[in-house]
Amino acid sequence: MTVNETTGASSASRPRAEVTRPLRGEWMTPRRRFLAALFRGHVDKVPACTLSSVATVELMDMVDAPFPEAHLDAEMMARLAATSHEVLGMDTIMPVWHSQLESDALGGDTDWAEKDNWPSPSKFLISEPEQVKVPDDFRDRPTMRTVTGAMRLLRRRYPDVAIVGKVYGPWSVAYQMVGIESFLMDTILDPDRVRRYLDAFLPACIDSARAQFEAGADAVMWADHTTGDLCSAETYRDFLLEMHQRISVEIGGPGIFHCCGKTIDRVHLFANAGWDCFHFESQVDAREARAAAGERMSLFGNLNNPTLLYEGTSEQVYQACWDLMDAGVDGLAPEGSVPLVTKIGPLAAIARAAADWSTQHRGEGQSVRRDPAMQEEDERWQT
Amino acid sequence: MADLKRLQVAVEVGDRETAVSVTEEALHEGIPPLVILDSMTDAMGVVGDRFARQEIYVPEMLISARAMKAALALLEPLLIGSGHRPDKIAVMGTIKGDLHDIGKNLVAMMLKGANFEIVDLGTNTPADEFMAAAREHRADLIGISALLTTTMGNMRSVVEAVRAATDLPHLRVIVGGAPVTRDFAVRIEADGWAPDAASAVDVAKAVVETARGRTAHSGFIDPDVVAALRAAAVAAV
Repeated sequence: MTVNETTGASSASRPRAEVTRPLRGEWMTPRRRFLAALFRGHVDKVPACTLSSVATVELMDMVDAPFPEAHLDAEMMARLAATSHEVLGMDTIMPVWHSQLESDALGGDTDWAEKDNWPSPSKFLISEPEQVKVPDDFRDRPTMRTVTGAMRLLRRRYPDVAIVGKVYGPWSVAYQMVGIESFLMDTILDPDRVRRYLDAFLPACIDSARAQFEAGADAVMWADHTTGDLCSAETYRDFLLEMHQRISVEIGGPGIFHCCGKTIDRVHLFANAGWDCFHFESQVDAREARAAAGERMSLFGNLNNPTLLYEGTSEQVYQACWDLMDAGVDGLAPEGSVPLVTKIGPLAAIARAAADWSTQHRGEGQSVRRDPAMQEEDERWQT
Repeated sequence: MADLKRLQVAVEVGDRETAVSVTEEALHEGIPPLVILDSMTDAMGVVGDRFARQEIYVPEMLISARAMKAALALLEPLLIGSGHRPDKIAVMGTIKGDLHDIGKNLVAMMLKGANFEIVDLGTNTPADEFMAAAREHRADLIGISALLTTTMGNMRSVVEAVRAATDLPHLRVIVGGAPVTRDFAVRIEADGWAPDAASAVDVAKAVVETARGRTAHSGFIDPDVVAALRAAAVAAV
């Protein structure tokens, strides 16, 4: 019998249910596991995830769903997206591989590129906030219709696998439609105009998120690229923090915030914004990010794309995954869109590492133990 | 009398109107264009140093570059008219698959101020376009930028094309961009790498000077190598 020194309560005095058939091994569905990890709850295994684009040429060939057709054909999109689960063993499926979802539906001009490249804006069409008009048929525009159509297919085919949507927020839509240079210069030359741009693009971004939730997404990744490589933490605080606090309530489901590059000086602001999770890059040290996020926000990502997943070996990826889980990352994922010529081997090593690490760290309580206090509590209840 | 210190400050803070008006005054008073250019180049050097120390970010760099570009437009016809020609030629572009040109534009602007002629290929540039431009303009240097981790791997194909070009023995390649690390640059066997626009200018100059046999160095050049070369030059004096 153990006694809690603070409360004086003993474990023997508490009622407990009889455990007749203890859980063994992996006992969560990928969907449940992903959502539990997203909220920093108990998991049987650290989830291996695709939150950014993990489509590759090899995977396109495998299921006959190549770029650029797969961007605008719901069936192809669903087939290609599902390879993350079927081939790579991931717990999530994420079918949006480009950055043009909202901007194209807002009337942007998109170059859909070829099999070995991602789509991009052909030209920047917006030079004044007042030019932005959200069309009445926004959800029926080809990019939106394809993504929500693919999500409905995936939801039916994979009820137990987590489906993740993707939204470019107003800051990143401005990059696509206004152009990065002029938009960033306006943060100094005309801050009011920047705010009017953000207000003008925001309704479309929120509607995109809600449409994806309605189509079956379990969470959406919201990207606003206020990266430390481009702007200061104060820029995020002054232009986006308050807006994100509202967005995290209004989108209608779990929100994963994505921002590339060096962000350690603003991770605490992302947590203050109310995001459930931060999807972050390898330029940020995972332990420092853990300290900055604390218990308020889960952390997914951090596997380096160019030097690890693209150029590294499966063994190097496997080791990097172990290091990340040791550092307290809640979910493994590539840091951003993986190069299209990345090989399957290193990508498949992510799920393998998650399974092996979790097996080693799963105690009698049947959960992956991260928190020493939680572990102590579990052990007390096992005796 | 035109105050070149005022011009320098105007470029540093991105005050385009003042930069242009002081340049006009200076030209009107007969100050040599090269002297005015030096003032602007010094200003961009200060801006680059502040950026490297993360005292300022890209927006501030951009408005400084915009101010310099506007003032430089007044000087360029005079520089060309006086027979002044840059003594180094750089072909600049963002790598294939990447449409982000902020970094490339900043480096190009600062190289222009450092007496480079710039052939700007824009964004989404494949290796064969880099090579064709280098041949056409008899370039000393190719400068490649990438903002995306997904596209930086394509830089390797440009380096390989340069190595294979036996007709361009003095052509060199430097790489940069937010995700491009020194280790990556070494691995793809680039000739030089810099973490920001300001140090890219020093690296570019050192790479070209080395190719011309004007330094004792051989091999990869980064800002640390530049500093060592400078220290050696001072010691030699």
